[in-house]
Amino acid sequence: MIKTHSILQQTALQSALQAESYLKPRAGKWKRALAADLLLTALIDAFSILVIFLLMSFSSTGDLLFIGKDQELPKAAQVDLLERNPVVKIEAGKMYLEDKEVTSDSIVAAFLEMRKQFSDSHPGQEYPGVVTIQADRRLKYEALNQVVLAASHAGFSDVRFAVLLK
Amino acid sequence: MRKHSKHLDFEINLIPCIDLLSVCICFLLLTAVWLNVGSMNVKQAVGGQSVAETEKKPVLWVLMGTDGELNLNIQDSIRVPKNLSKLKLTGLDGKSNTSELQKVLEQIMTVEPALKTALIQPQAQSAYEDIIDLMDAFRKKGLVDLGVAPL
Repeated sequence: MIKTHSILQQTALQSALQAESYLKPRAGKWKRALAADLLLTALIDAFSILVIFLLMSFSSTGDLLFIGKDQELPKAAQVDLLERNPVVKIEAGKMYLEDKEVTSDSIVAAFLEMRKQFSDSHPGQEYPGVVTIQADRRLKYEALNQVVLAASHAGFSDVRFAVLLK
Repeated sequence: MRKHSKHLDFEINLIPCIDLLSVCICFLLLTAVWLNVGSMNVKQAVGGQSVAETEKKPVLWVLMGTDGELNLNIQDSIRVPKNLSKLKLTGLDGKSNTSELQKVLEQIMTVEPALKTALIQPQAQSAYEDIIDLMDAFRKKGLVDLGVAPL
């Protein structure tokens, strides 16, 4: 009774933890110590390692192909660098030349149109005649054959098959 | 003197370093390309020159059969013995036996180091992946001029 209605209420110790803080009040000190002990060097080390790793895996050529989620490219170890060339994509039974749908009958005309556009925009320059084929690894050759034949008919002598690095 | 030594003991402000590194990480993460895509180059130029102009070079023809069977045929080579010039390799689990192929190629390349050209003749039902596996095996053994015959 005396405790609840007197000055003792404010000074009485409720628990051992509180007693510790009452007896040794150092809350301000704690905050200061925390700010000083934050080791920024370790953070910078981690950031530097991340930057080095990301720089090593950085590709200056960028994403040249858009690969759909259902498409799996074949894998190979002995590959060349993929360059920017006209891309023929075979996906879900359809053919696309530079994202424009073509058929086996119209693909040669589309290739020839591409050549014509190049010669109009680059007069005097020889057309490189390179085409990249992007197809699923499970595809049968009869589907690829249409593109290979059309490319050779249209004068695209070099065919590049897009593959994933093993 | 005391004042001078106090000036020497300074702390580098690390906050700009953290800012810079954070920006670098964000940029690199956004522009990262996680799939390493390469290309397998194939020359399709056949018949550009006359027969007389064309220099005779040894050529390895590979006919892809069913169930991964491979028929190898070396043309225009006088060095390759008859037992190696025409070979038939059986498949393994429905796919081409690339390890056996590499052993054979090693034997061929020791007797005919000038062999650089391989022409693959797939079947209509040959899988694209099997053709690429063959090309990869050829390139591993130094056959860099590759071609695919249309059907």
